[in-house]
Amino acid sequence: MPDNPGMTRRRLVGLGAATLATASLPDILMTRAEAATAGATEGIGYFTRFGVTDQMIRQTLSAALSKGGDRADVFFQHRVNHALVLEDGSVNRAFSSVELGVGVRVVRGDQTGYGFTEDLTAPALRQTALTAAAIADGPAREGPAQLRLDRNLPSRYPVKVRWEDVGTGQKLPLLTGLNEKTFAGSPLIKKVTVSFADESGAILLADSTGRIVEDFQPMTRIYLMCVAEKDGKKESNGYNVAARADLSFYSPERLDRMVREAVSRTTILFDAVVPPAGEMPVVLGAGASGILLHEAIGHGMEADFNRKGISIFSDKIGKPVAKPFVNIVDEGELKAARGAINVDDEGNAVGTTHLVKDGVLTTYLHDSISAKHYGVQPTGNGRRESYKYAPMPRMRATYMLPGPHKKDEIIQSVKKGIFCTNFTNGEVQIGAGDFTFYVKNGYLIEDGKLTRPIKDVNIIGNGPKVLEKIDMVADDLVIDEGGWTCGKDGQSCPVSQGIPTVRVASITVGGRGKA
Amino acid sequence: MATTKKDPMLETGELCVKTALAKGAQEAAARTYRVRDIEVTWRDGKLEKIQEATTRGVGLSLYVDGRYASVSSSDLRPDALETFIADSVVMTRALAKDPFRTLPDPALYKGQSAVDLKLDDPKYAVVTPDDRLRLVKEMEAAARAVKGAEAILSVTTSFNDSLSETFRVHSNGFAGSRRDTAFWVSAQASVKDPDGRKPEDYSYAGSRFWSEMPPAAEQGRIAATRALSRLGAKKGDSAVLSMAIDARAAGRMISFLMGPLSAASLQQKRSFYEGKAGTTVGSPLLTIADDPLIPKGFGSRLFDGEGIAAKPMPVFEAGVLKNFYVDTYYGKKLKMAPTTAGASNLVVKLGQRGQADLLADMKDGILVTGFLGGNSNGTTGDFSLGVQGFRVRGGKTAEPVSEMNISGNHLEFWKKLAALGNDPYPYSTIRVPTLVFEGVQFAGS
Repeated sequence: MPDNPGMTRRRLVGLGAATLATASLPDILMTRAEAATAGATEGIGYFTRFGVTDQMIRQTLSAALSKGGDRADVFFQHRVNHALVLEDGSVNRAFSSVELGVGVRVVRGDQTGYGFTEDLTAPALRQTALTAAAIADGPAREGPAQLRLDRNLPSRYPVKVRWEDVGTGQKLPLLTGLNEKTFAGSPLIKKVTVSFADESGAILLADSTGRIVEDFQPMTRIYLMCVAEKDGKKESNGYNVAARADLSFYSPERLDRMVREAVSRTTILFDAVVPPAGEMPVVLGAGASGILLHEAIGHGMEADFNRKGISIFSDKIGKPVAKPFVNIVDEGELKAARGAINVDDEGNAVGTTHLVKDGVLTTYLHDSISAKHYGVQPTGNGRRESYKYAPMPRMRATYMLPGPHKKDEIIQSVKKGIFCTNFTNGEVQIGAGDFTFYVKNGYLIEDGKLTRPIKDVNIIGNGPKVLEKIDMVADDLVIDEGGWTCGKDGQSCPVSQGIPTVRVASITVGGRGKA
Repeated sequence: MATTKKDPMLETGELCVKTALAKGAQEAAARTYRVRDIEVTWRDGKLEKIQEATTRGVGLSLYVDGRYASVSSSDLRPDALETFIADSVVMTRALAKDPFRTLPDPALYKGQSAVDLKLDDPKYAVVTPDDRLRLVKEMEAAARAVKGAEAILSVTTSFNDSLSETFRVHSNGFAGSRRDTAFWVSAQASVKDPDGRKPEDYSYAGSRFWSEMPPAAEQGRIAATRALSRLGAKKGDSAVLSMAIDARAAGRMISFLMGPLSAASLQQKRSFYEGKAGTTVGSPLLTIADDPLIPKGFGSRLFDGEGIAAKPMPVFEAGVLKNFYVDTYYGKKLKMAPTTAGASNLVVKLGQRGQADLLADMKDGILVTGFLGGNSNGTTGDFSLGVQGFRVRGGKTAEPVSEMNISGNHLEFWKKLAALGNDPYPYSTIRVPTLVFEGVQFAGS
């Protein structure tokens, strides 16, 4: 059954809304002993342990082009994930998963043929390539005679100790420590769950130009959830962090912040009043409010929707869409960020892309197909969930640059409105432009001051209209440290987001109280 | 009689359990799968994408010295699998003991229904590449043939067929397999609104049997008609109004009732149903049953994800909460007998009349045809959801509305369920008709 029937709907979820990690494996991923064997082929390092050879890749690319596709690529992936969960006071469950497979893509113009297999043998790869080749129907083209490794990738997520060398015993104190401190944080806390995950991923991309890239992509995250009880009422909330980093990411300061935020975000809910209903000014706090950009403009700027002419931004490049002090970028260069990548999943370089520069809509987010369609360079946004999927334009870290205003002056400027600090999820309709994001914590603003807390309210607006209505931008940009996951066409990708404090002059707040 | 050769994926599952026990687990359960999936996507007169693959893998639950882990792998090379299982047992030993973790009581495996669920089309393999192309083309043609089609910007259609085979082996006596097929057609249309918006809508339909495929052209026609009906949509005023929810959209509203029914939510104090077993939580019109034994159903099964024999179960009866979803683990923690770990098919009791009659009775309000984002708090029951649809005036649908929001609390909201239609949505595991509620808070202008 289609899991995402509204095909142009795109969802973003924080870890709070996502299901727990499926999981992965223990201290030694695979058979480490194999690694050195098979006489490493030029260009292929990591994947030789699975029997992958230079010749096998060239033969696969030849088979992929056997019906005349314009170009082809193969994407090998090995990803090992481990998760530990603390519930009811002890770390009493572990999960692990190993993904090993290869996808073969053939492109002809805007058209794509795709196949994948978990069987990394020459006959299985050939069959997969022939499947993908069927998108074309012309005379065979030559595959690359030689493969060459691109050794010039940046290093945006170096780790001192790889996750496969970290024992379960080293991770346990993180979870038990968070549990103890969270209970100590408030007598109202009744339940604590800590979910920890780490991941080691290796990818190898080889294409019909003979280019090979290999990248190693670590990831880790912790989600701290709690339930509090007061006067017979219950409230739940949490806090999470994620990064492409090693164990040292979890500094004492970060862990303390997690506890402080999780406890205060939960216990404050007992004081929350019913949020108002209707249009009003909304001030978005620095950091996680970047969800606004992801939904209001990010997805609509993904070039696949634009080459098809179905995005609300399709005909707006070069036009003013926001106040001149609004600058929005999408980039993959942020050190250790969840949304950072050294190279995209088509082997293209990843830099910084300006979606909006000085208020003018500047550049779409491209993969190879859309870049060719528009006659521009790819922007390094070709991403995929795994070897089971063809790449498409996806965001990386999306944020707004600092502006001319101050946070205090922005809040003081609002007579009656709300201030939002914390979110769980959002969604957008690409063509109509309507988008939402769900506010978990916030405050009423009354006469320029933050007064009573609010909770659980959805905000709904229209992308281009809301961009026009961003009329104040502060100088306090924060990139959120949370573990955001973007969903598109059934594929999930890790992303980052951020924003300075901004004011939207008017947007619909979906509460139940008087506006 | 000739013996049938054992499926290699079943052999892999048996081997995994055997290996786990040999490496030190006292109990183990394996689930192996192989899924063949083909999808053809067509856009604006030409092929957009063809994807075809067979994927396979294994999931394994390990019970080691009173400790528990759940692991999975798609690397099925025998040596790699053995190392993986050995390492997983070592990982499990590092955890805290958990006396509540065991495989299900084998008595619960017994008593599987003898009904033929008819999930597997023996003619699955007769579908040809030409069939797939014909269907996706038919859908586009139908979309472009509707009145007002000149406003269409783009039509994307797709056909998907899959064959899924799974095998489950438990060390305490359960073995089960399942083979099912599915065929789906879907269409999506984007249209140009003079105001610059490009509203879109979709339609999809599916079947477990190729010979029973719903008409593809109908999906193209519905997608285009629905998208065109969004032209000129505007935000309405904030107000408390009656609300009808179209059957296709209503499944989302029902799904919010289900999560907090899990024993895990109850035990973790994350359920607004805590202390409400046997009490009235909705209108007398609210009756929902979990029925795993519907032939050809998209959620049908003879055994659940723990191997427990599947049985129909009342969930709500005349507004009264009758049952929770209790799995083995949280059932032990709560001292509740296991029911089943998760929903199968949800069957909502129907009303007598169609949507047009319900709207005529409602007179004034909003017909919601789709949700956009939003969320529901399972701990408190508060929800807030983006909506679009049509204003209803004088008992008839009037202008389209968008960019609006509804909010409420489930424990109050479902008591305001005033009517149900006779039009259950067939292409989902949630078979829900049009729903009508009174006194719903809409936010807009």
